[in-house]
Amino acid sequence: MTDLQEIGAVWRGETVRATRSGRVVVLLLLFMMFVGLALAVVGFFNKQINAKVEEQAKAAGVDLNDEKAKEQFSEGKKQFLSVFITDDEEMLDSLLTLPLVLLVVFKLTLRFVPLLVALMGFDQLAGEMGPKSIRFLIVRLKRNNLILGKFASQVTIFTALLFVCTLLMVLVARVLNDDFSAKEMAVWTLRLLISSFVLALAYLALTTLCSAIVKNGAVSLVLNIMILFGIWFVALIGEWYRLPGELAETGSLTSLIKDESVMAYARYLSVWHFGQDLLHPDWLRFVTAALMHLGYAAVFLGLAQLALKQRDL
Amino acid sequence: MSTPAIALEHLSKHFGPKRAVDDVSFSVQEGHCYGLIGPNGAGKTTTFSMMCGYLFPTTGSIRILGVDPFEPGALKGKVGVLPQDAILPPTWPVGALLTYFGQLSGLPNAEQEARRVLDKVQLPETWGLFANQLSHGMAKRVSMAQALMGSPPVIFLDEPTAGLDPKIAASVRQLIRELKGQHTVVVSSHNLQELEELCDATAILDKGKLVSAASMADLTGQMAEFRVQIAKGEVPLLEVKAQSGVKDARLEPNKVLCVTFDGQAVQPEEIITRVVGLLAQRDVLFLTVWRGKKLEEKVLQLT
Repeated sequence: MTDLQEIGAVWRGETVRATRSGRVVVLLLLFMMFVGLALAVVGFFNKQINAKVEEQAKAAGVDLNDEKAKEQFSEGKKQFLSVFITDDEEMLDSLLTLPLVLLVVFKLTLRFVPLLVALMGFDQLAGEMGPKSIRFLIVRLKRNNLILGKFASQVTIFTALLFVCTLLMVLVARVLNDDFSAKEMAVWTLRLLISSFVLALAYLALTTLCSAIVKNGAVSLVLNIMILFGIWFVALIGEWYRLPGELAETGSLTSLIKDESVMAYARYLSVWHFGQDLLHPDWLRFVTAALMHLGYAAVFLGLAQLALKQRDL
Repeated sequence: MSTPAIALEHLSKHFGPKRAVDDVSFSVQEGHCYGLIGPNGAGKTTTFSMMCGYLFPTTGSIRILGVDPFEPGALKGKVGVLPQDAILPPTWPVGALLTYFGQLSGLPNAEQEARRVLDKVQLPETWGLFANQLSHGMAKRVSMAQALMGSPPVIFLDEPTAGLDPKIAASVRQLIRELKGQHTVVVSSHNLQELEELCDATAILDKGKLVSAASMADLTGQMAEFRVQIAKGEVPLLEVKAQSGVKDARLEPNKVLCVTFDGQAVQPEEIITRVVGLLAQRDVLFLTVWRGKKLEEKVLQLT
């Protein structure tokens, strides 16, 4: 039996087990409820804003279908996005084709993804180590293959969850936005799916690592969440020091060495920092971000394998 | 002597300052049923867990069928294990779980094999039940079934009859008896009568150290002594001692005659028949005759 066959056997078994268990259904419902709630809230505000704009335009005698008005509207949207999403011009232009409601809900969902991943897989290994059921497995296969098989199973299940929820988001966005064409829908569905899939890979691997380090499922979950906060915190610190106010003063001695605080480089230590570029229209930026996520996933998985390989079970 | 199926050399396992297993060495011959004996905390399960590749030894080495059990995938298809305190994953139906285990072991017809081993432990009716619906005894037997899947050459059974009712325990013992000769079986148990009955050889551990590793016959002195439970009459001790091959004879409490003989010079059946015949001639009535010491007595003496 080759390594690939072993991984395949674990993947099949674990996927069947997960689909049988109630947890996946509960998580799917939770995810869908979150998406539904976000859609409802954001959709409501979107509708209110649109109505207000239409009302003001009518009072001022402006035709909203007029090219100039459209341009102004687009500029307003861009300003909104530059405050809340990104200040990257190229990215802003690309995001303008995406309905606001879809963009906001998707961004919110991405925030939720690492937590959902942690909830789904915190006990994939820890849950087998505590009651020692892992002992039935490790006389039959390599420890590395056990991890990879379980990871592959988590990826499969989570991809299915993402697919359902992304589709739901896009469909609702289509209903709320008549000008969201079928072609744009297809392109954005694919882009959102790919970006959320790549982003989730790193966090799925992190969850596998946490589950391989400790024997207790609850401790694994707490550890996972603590690391997530750490990841967000480091990214935040890095972003904070990127702000213009923190730049070295022009002409100062420090500015000869660097043009921003050393602390700003901390953002590269956090996988979260690279998530932004997963929707970037520039392929190079996208591929770099995707590779960074895959790199982090590989590091987390490698550490998980090392941990399980070295430990008593 | 052929290469042993299992060989432990200077094996130690420390948990912090505690030496759970301390410099233990013994070997198990192929086809033998080998017992691991010792009081609670003696290091049986730790030794057992190291042999199965669950725990890494602090020092020393283990070879199972010539391979290091800690090499990735080394035990695949070679070893079946009934771990003592491992819980079957509760959300699996028994049949699907055993089939899954069979697939992981690379068995060509995993489902068929799963059905075969469930029949072997007399639990075919549990096929569709979830593992958390099984009673303790049923779960134990299902765990035993998974250890038998694929007929591995080496089988480790940690406390296989603990917590089972006498009837089920007897059927498990019968199953182990059937494995002897075809498989190398290592059994860890507190039930010394059971081990005496099943095992060809045994290792006795106490406080992490090996206090004895010998064949059951040597350990219980089956080739060197026998006992007679006297019911009535005066035992002619001097005459018994005078028999050729007899090294010593003495009366133990509860009217038990203990005769020590030279196992190299005389066959046990010959000397037993002569002594019993002498007792009968001298009108000494007796109830039973047994060879050697009870394992329990020996273990109590050693630990």
